[in-house]
Amino acid sequence: MMSEHVWRYTLLGTIFSILAFAIVGQMVRIQLNPEQVEYFMEVREANLGTYRTIYPARGLIYDRNGHILASNTKVYEIGVELAWVENPHTIALALNVVLGLDYKDVLKAVSQDPSPNAVYVVLDKFVTQEKVDQLESYRAEIESTYTNRRGDDRPSLSGLVFVPHLMRSYPEKDRASNILGFVTMEGEGNYGVEAKFNHLLAGNPRNVWIPRDPNLAEEIPDIPDGASLILTIDRSVQSAMEAVIDDAVDDSGSDSGTIIVLAPQTGEILAMATTTRLNLNEYWRYSEIFKGNTPFNRGVSETYEPGSVFKILTMAAALDKGAVTPETEFLDTGVFEIGGTYIYNWNRAAWGPQDMQGCLQHSLNVCLAWVSSELGAKDFYAYLRAFGIGHLTGVDMAGEMPGRLKLPGDADWYDADLGTNAFGQGVAVTPLQLAVASAAIANDGKLMAPHIVRAVVNNNQQFDTPPRLIGMPISSKTANTLTEMLASSLEKEASDSLVEGYRVAGKTGTAEIPTPYGYSSSATNASFVGWGPVDDPKFLVYIWLEKPTTSPWGSVVAAPVFRQAVERLVVLMDIPPDNVRRKIFTQ
Amino acid sequence: MDHVRSLTQAYSQAPWRKQTMFIGLFLLVVIFAALVAGIYLDVTARTATIGREIQGMEEEIESLKLSNAELETRLALLMSTEELEERARSMGFQSIEMNEAVYVVVPGYVSRQHVRLAPPPGPVKTVAAALPTAFTESLVTWFQRKVLPMRSQILEVRR
Repeated sequence: MMSEHVWRYTLLGTIFSILAFAIVGQMVRIQLNPEQVEYFMEVREANLGTYRTIYPARGLIYDRNGHILASNTKVYEIGVELAWVENPHTIALALNVVLGLDYKDVLKAVSQDPSPNAVYVVLDKFVTQEKVDQLESYRAEIESTYTNRRGDDRPSLSGLVFVPHLMRSYPEKDRASNILGFVTMEGEGNYGVEAKFNHLLAGNPRNVWIPRDPNLAEEIPDIPDGASLILTIDRSVQSAMEAVIDDAVDDSGSDSGTIIVLAPQTGEILAMATTTRLNLNEYWRYSEIFKGNTPFNRGVSETYEPGSVFKILTMAAALDKGAVTPETEFLDTGVFEIGGTYIYNWNRAAWGPQDMQGCLQHSLNVCLAWVSSELGAKDFYAYLRAFGIGHLTGVDMAGEMPGRLKLPGDADWYDADLGTNAFGQGVAVTPLQLAVASAAIANDGKLMAPHIVRAVVNNNQQFDTPPRLIGMPISSKTANTLTEMLASSLEKEASDSLVEGYRVAGKTGTAEIPTPYGYSSSATNASFVGWGPVDDPKFLVYIWLEKPTTSPWGSVVAAPVFRQAVERLVVLMDIPPDNVRRKIFTQ
Repeated sequence: MDHVRSLTQAYSQAPWRKQTMFIGLFLLVVIFAALVAGIYLDVTARTATIGREIQGMEEEIESLKLSNAELETRLALLMSTEELEERARSMGFQSIEMNEAVYVVVPGYVSRQHVRLAPPPGPVKTVAAALPTAFTESLVTWFQRKVLPMRSQILEVRR
């Protein structure tokens, strides 16, 4: 009896000893085998936690009155945790039906065996809440219908996970799209302020360790959102200007249209509208809408020969230098020779004796070519440079082009350029460059830096962008004299640009378009620049219509657009008619 | 006397007594180990629970941030120019023409000011330490700060 027990105890003891030795042996084997050590270290690391890059919410963009122009919306990444997948077919079918994904691709991705290298598979990104709700309801329906069914063929969406994240959204759709630009799915800003201020808006992503072990859990550091921007544009003004330019392009049969509204006294851009525009919530249609070399924002990215609107800069320079006065007489014979090239008027007629106001009023090329020759090349180009022609304005938008101003000494500059440049041919500018230069005339000769960002809101502090004076190309006296000449010219011409109750100054422009075979007389760039009220300018409007077909003349197609724009502006900007304003002022 | 001594010796050297002592000692060690393990488990479990709660709260914060962004966007959509114009039109409003505007002088009227979404940057302020001194000072410092002044006060009263 006793020996029987001893035998049993010995057997048990032997078994436990073998087990203990086996465990110790296995431990030693693992410790001494570098491959095993590495493998188990990898498994440990994989299960300890993960490093996650936390992207701060992209900063918002507001208009000058605090209306949101760009914000963020919640979308989902759809993926599968391979270890939890019960029925790959159900997942593939559901995603095919709801999201339109390819059934075979999804099935292949979901059918993988889980391994340390294949844990999670991303199936789709940027899925809307509506689609996710649909998938959730499918899941609930399947669960309730097949609860009691067993076996491998039991339909199940188990393993399907929805990871929420943010995506850029533009509540105003295509409004101000040319100014804003857009953000791609990769989070990169393209064009406009989205590109220019990408570093500020995006914030600073941080790599954070997220432990799986709750014992190691700690507070995730608070990563501040990207900075928000308050723009100078007024969405109501922007909306109105977009409507005005769209109508103008339709009515004139133009290829495109651009309109810029500036506050001359501050350099703030109140509106900048161009055709074509893109619904920023569907930015992937970019190449479909902007074909070939079409720029995203013609206002800053397209250069062209401006034509007669440029004459105001020539006249400003000559008046300021004293080369001419408003009363200077010029006998227009209809032709002027300079550098071996003959300059003619727009109608090839001789206009006889003219003073400088007459030259501007009738937009005489011959007269202005003579004025620039009187001024001399050195001073003429020095003034143009001072007005910002030929170099970047420095506006805070991506994609600005510098234009081209040939200077004496350049290989492609000829004496004749002094004459042609005087009336805006042979010189390439962006609409913004010309608007900014003209704004200096409206603003007592002070050239203000154009800007679109009014303030930056970062870390709960608002940093305002004050107006910045960048130069004074002409004196206040010259600016006022020229403004008066331009206002009188419009009044005497009974221009279509005149606005009842408001005194405005301005100039039309019609430019021939250069082609590889010389200038095209059939296609023109029609433009108009004007500002008002003359005694206290609150707005400057620049209009450019590319290749209008109803009439080639700026005075016919662009001047009425200025009037329409101003009629909307004075209402939206609360600018009373001149007589009312003076009456209020005297009270 | 010898009889008593031998009885005591017999009692103290009895095998069952030695076994009892050994078992008692062993049990004591086991109970102590169990106590330590129990306390350790309790503390670990509580830490894990709190850790899990922290993880849950972090997830909730993340979720709330996303929801806030979503709500902000929905609000912006409802307040977009297109939506507002449509609502205004449906309510019978129409945009005015330039010559329909009537300007009146309103005493004290302040025109629209610059929008301010956050205060301007102010002077840099030094922020006081958020942790109470109990977490930062040593026992000696505490003693010097609290007890020594009391001693001098007592001496003052005695005089």
